[in-house]
Amino acid sequence: MMSENENKTVITKHDLRKMGVRWCFMGVNAFNYETQEGPGYTYAVAPALRKIYPNDDDYEQAIANHLNYFNTTTAMANILMGATTAMEEKEGTKSLDAVQALKTSLMGPLAGIGDTLIWVLWPTIIGSISGYMAVKGNPLGAIIWFLCNVAFFFGKVWLTSLGYFSGTKLITSLGERISIFTESASIMGLTVVGALVASVVKVTTPITFKFGAVTMGLQTGILDKIMPALLPVLLTWVVYKLIGNKKWTMNRIILLLIVLAMVCSFFNILK
Amino acid sequence: MQLLQDLLIILLAAWMCIDQNGLVIVSYFPVIVGFITGLIMGDITTAMYIAGTFELMQLGVANLGGSSMPNYGLATIIGAFLAIRTGTGVKTGIAVGLPVGMLAIQLDVLIKIINQFIQRRMERLNHEHKWKAMLRQPWYGVGFFGLETGIPTAILVFLGPTAVKEILKWLPAWFTNGLTIAGGLLPVVGVAMLLHYMPTKKFFTFLVIGFVLTAYLKVPILGLALIGFACAYYYFNSEMKKADEKQEVKAAGATNDQGDDYDE
Repeated sequence: MMSENENKTVITKHDLRKMGVRWCFMGVNAFNYETQEGPGYTYAVAPALRKIYPNDDDYEQAIANHLNYFNTTTAMANILMGATTAMEEKEGTKSLDAVQALKTSLMGPLAGIGDTLIWVLWPTIIGSISGYMAVKGNPLGAIIWFLCNVAFFFGKVWLTSLGYFSGTKLITSLGERISIFTESASIMGLTVVGALVASVVKVTTPITFKFGAVTMGLQTGILDKIMPALLPVLLTWVVYKLIGNKKWTMNRIILLLIVLAMVCSFFNILK
Repeated sequence: MQLLQDLLIILLAAWMCIDQNGLVIVSYFPVIVGFITGLIMGDITTAMYIAGTFELMQLGVANLGGSSMPNYGLATIIGAFLAIRTGTGVKTGIAVGLPVGMLAIQLDVLIKIINQFIQRRMERLNHEHKWKAMLRQPWYGVGFFGLETGIPTAILVFLGPTAVKEILKWLPAWFTNGLTIAGGLLPVVGVAMLLHYMPTKKFFTFLVIGFVLTAYLKVPILGLALIGFACAYYYFNSEMKKADEKQEVKAAGATNDQGDDYDE
């Protein structure tokens, strides 16, 4: 192993894996409003810290340092805890201020990258595809997603080692490239969203007109001739505008749609 | 058999919340928990339909910075369970699942307030050098989050089916029909939310491409995703090339500047 060439290393690959697994499980499970992910982070790094600080007082100081406020995307924290552990292993208690500074300064940018990729883009793309399959009764998308998540778990554990060996240089140097990647993913995302508007938003009307002996359905006779999925497009546009309006919270919009559905059902405007 | 199903559903709900906070393997993604619910209940098609509806609503409602959001995963489990158990279909799933998912946010806030004591105790036990006990504390959080979704599910699993059947008997047809219509409208929430904070104005072209291919040409979703991927791949490569060139110019410029600096 690489790290064993140096003299003072006490952290093994096994320790890093263990730290990664502990964090992956605990994550925000001990979340509180004051220190947020602080307790979870402490829980994850504690066994490794015990090896670094055999002295009880040093260990207490190090634990207290990690019990401070901390919050970032959970997967990104894996890199960070690898990096802080490497620092503490090298310098002991002298590194504590630097460790705190590193955590505080990087948790924001890391959350920016992590939240966008992990919580927005990926669930959007796979969620659109699997959701679209699901409303047709097909679980294939869901199964693929599940398998991907299992693979991601191992990836996240690996990120701890990556953080330990290469520090945070990696993240800062990726900067601009990450934003290009994010934009490219947005292109794919928007293409899928365009398909969703046309396929999963279902608004049709049973209204019919009578011109003498001729009966014409509003839906098939007029709306579909103008543009397929015209009503879904209009509805999407209206809700899009409502979301931009601060007065309309998510729950209000959902409620409005339910009331709208009820009223239209009562007067037989939509089916 | 039914009791076993009940217990598995409650366990699934409890595990979902814990998993969502850490492992993110099952998480609160409606299609995944919906699929497992379908397996437990023995009707994957109905479960997937309800799960799909909630999944599409959830798009764009990301769980950022520890914020609390409607729990669509819980909505899916309860909705699919009741729909299949009572045999009343999608409208039940939406009518009961959605309000429960929205109410569960309140519990989420409550637990995050209660969890304060974990932090206090860990600080104290660290000070007292009782580290074994200190490392037990976060597990209380795990337990609480399990209860957050486990308790509402247990209540609905044991009392729900009878109540739902009784209530549905009393409801007029336009009301239940309205719920089915709502099921068709609601995915718009997620779609609009996505449009709201993706760079829609910058990449409007691709939104139109996706719409036209589906609405007019009826391209299946995987084919469409591949077209989207092709566009993204092209954009990525050309932008990366630009970024590299910029960097080279900068590097070249930097060495030239250095020469000037020495002259000054």
